[in-house]
Amino acid sequence: MTETDREAPAGIIADIPLALSFDWRWKLAIAFAGALVLLLVFGMAQPVLFGIGVWGANVPYVWGFDLVNYVWWIGIANGASLFAAILVIRRHDLRTSINRFAEGVALFAVICAGIFPIMHLGRPWLFYWTFPYPATFEVWPQFRSTLTWDFWAISTHVIVTTLLWYTGLIPDLATLRDRSRSLRSKTVFGLFALGWRGSVRHWAYHQTAYRIVAALVLPLILIMQSTVAFEFATTLVPAWHDTRKPLHFVVTGIASGLATVLFIAIMLRRGLSLERYIDDEDIELMAKLLLAASLVIAIIYLEEAFTSVLSGPLAQETLLARLFDQFAGAYWAAILLIVVAPQVLWFERARSSLLVCALASASVLVGVWLDRFSIVIGGMQGDYLPSVSGTYLPTFPEWALLGGTLGLFAGFLLLFVRFLPVISMFETRHAEHGDGS
Amino acid sequence: MSRAYGILAEFDSADGVVAAIRAARAAGYTRLDAYSPFPLREAADLLEQRTLIVPVIAVTAGLVGAAIQYYAQYWMNAVDYPINVGGRPLHAWPAFLPAAFIVGILWASAASLIGMLALNRLPRLHHPLFDAPGFERASQDRFFLCIASDDPKFDRAETIRFLERMNAGRVQEVAA
Repeated sequence: MTETDREAPAGIIADIPLALSFDWRWKLAIAFAGALVLLLVFGMAQPVLFGIGVWGANVPYVWGFDLVNYVWWIGIANGASLFAAILVIRRHDLRTSINRFAEGVALFAVICAGIFPIMHLGRPWLFYWTFPYPATFEVWPQFRSTLTWDFWAISTHVIVTTLLWYTGLIPDLATLRDRSRSLRSKTVFGLFALGWRGSVRHWAYHQTAYRIVAALVLPLILIMQSTVAFEFATTLVPAWHDTRKPLHFVVTGIASGLATVLFIAIMLRRGLSLERYIDDEDIELMAKLLLAASLVIAIIYLEEAFTSVLSGPLAQETLLARLFDQFAGAYWAAILLIVVAPQVLWFERARSSLLVCALASASVLVGVWLDRFSIVIGGMQGDYLPSVSGTYLPTFPEWALLGGTLGLFAGFLLLFVRFLPVISMFETRHAEHGDGS
Repeated sequence: MSRAYGILAEFDSADGVVAAIRAARAAGYTRLDAYSPFPLREAADLLEQRTLIVPVIAVTAGLVGAAIQYYAQYWMNAVDYPINVGGRPLHAWPAFLPAAFIVGILWASAASLIGMLALNRLPRLHHPLFDAPGFERASQDRFFLCIASDDPKFDRAETIRFLERMNAGRVQEVAA
């Protein structure tokens, strides 16, 4: 190994955050994301100022875009987290290139997800009432309500993902501190590196703690995603009142998380010329995993139809309504985009094309969003009410929330790419050293 | 230079520093630490660095957190502020479980990551080693072995000679 080779792992990745300026494409992208964040501010201000009457939700469609988008984002967050945690526990080589930004994706997605239940409350400024604090009214939250589960699950996810992500970053921040040329970046990276000096004793504790938390993330994610599903299952809506919901949400959530990670991997590789770190093998492996996830979803869809047929007339009726009534388009488009489209990844030529892989992952992401739409909106067509009228049509403030959270996610991601190492430098050195431990 | 923190030797390979640790242990040095740009399990094993305390912290904190969360829900909903909702049981244990489990994981994760920093005595923004010229490569591509001056066997000249025999690139005294 030559001197330059050995320098390289720290070199290329570290040079990105240490660069003094970034090219115009990044600036354009961040400006676009910033504009969407302004849209988010608009979308959040509307229900705050005028109440949730500005949304299209009304009886029987009491859950609208707020819950569709919440379930979509939380699935992405949980899927990406789960994927990252499994790679760490299995000590898989893919973790070197993927983990850092997969954890970032999870963190940014869960922040986007958290916005929706808060807005859904109707009076979002009182969201802290779900936390049991000694209030002057001397009342406590009602823990038999599923709403409180969300509070614990989302806040735990945010804290644990942030801590895990930051812990993984500490040694890399120390590298940036030591490579900085300007006093300002040396100071900032130095403060956040907490004085890390690479002692092998510190490394031993660091790695043990990191792996333990990765192992704890597994049950956390499965329970959290199931909890989201239970919030549906514990209602009386016939299409939701069903014990198979957690399975459906976990499986589709994993697929959307995988699709996001694959999509971002391709963007990073193209945008930052990281071919050496996110190589063809990594992309191909993720494409295969996405294909597998899509096949599992095919089984889940069949199982859904099968259980409904066995469950009696009401369940059959609600399924038929989802399949053939006014929101049928969402159901069939979801199947097309999640189950059918990714089948192209059976072909090696398709897996080796970045464009095809990016399109396949985007297709799964859109498909899972439509799946959420079909469950939330399509599921509420069948109710116990003797007569219902009207339909659900999202209004502009609702679209603003969706577009705004997409912008917030993109903005976080762009800032992360600009100021932090997107690939773990110490894991890269470790892998190049050839010691698998 | 009045009092030294220790003697620092630089190596350009992981194998070099591992061999040096082995030799230093054999020579009877006990106050050793090595620095590496990535986790070096072999070196940690040689230094007899045990990490069992981390899972112990995680399990303890997780159980305590879950118990507190469960009891808090029980006490608030069944004792301090009971509300009769259609005759449903006040102590609704199945509804209390998800939050108890999730918060248990929160405690376990936070305790093991923050505990890891505490065990490592971090944050500590300054350290005598940062004054050593060339030590910034410890976070990039160089490996270091430091024999501390409070080692019973520490003798300035003798320790420098010992480390120089280890094929070290640069051997220097670090001021305290």
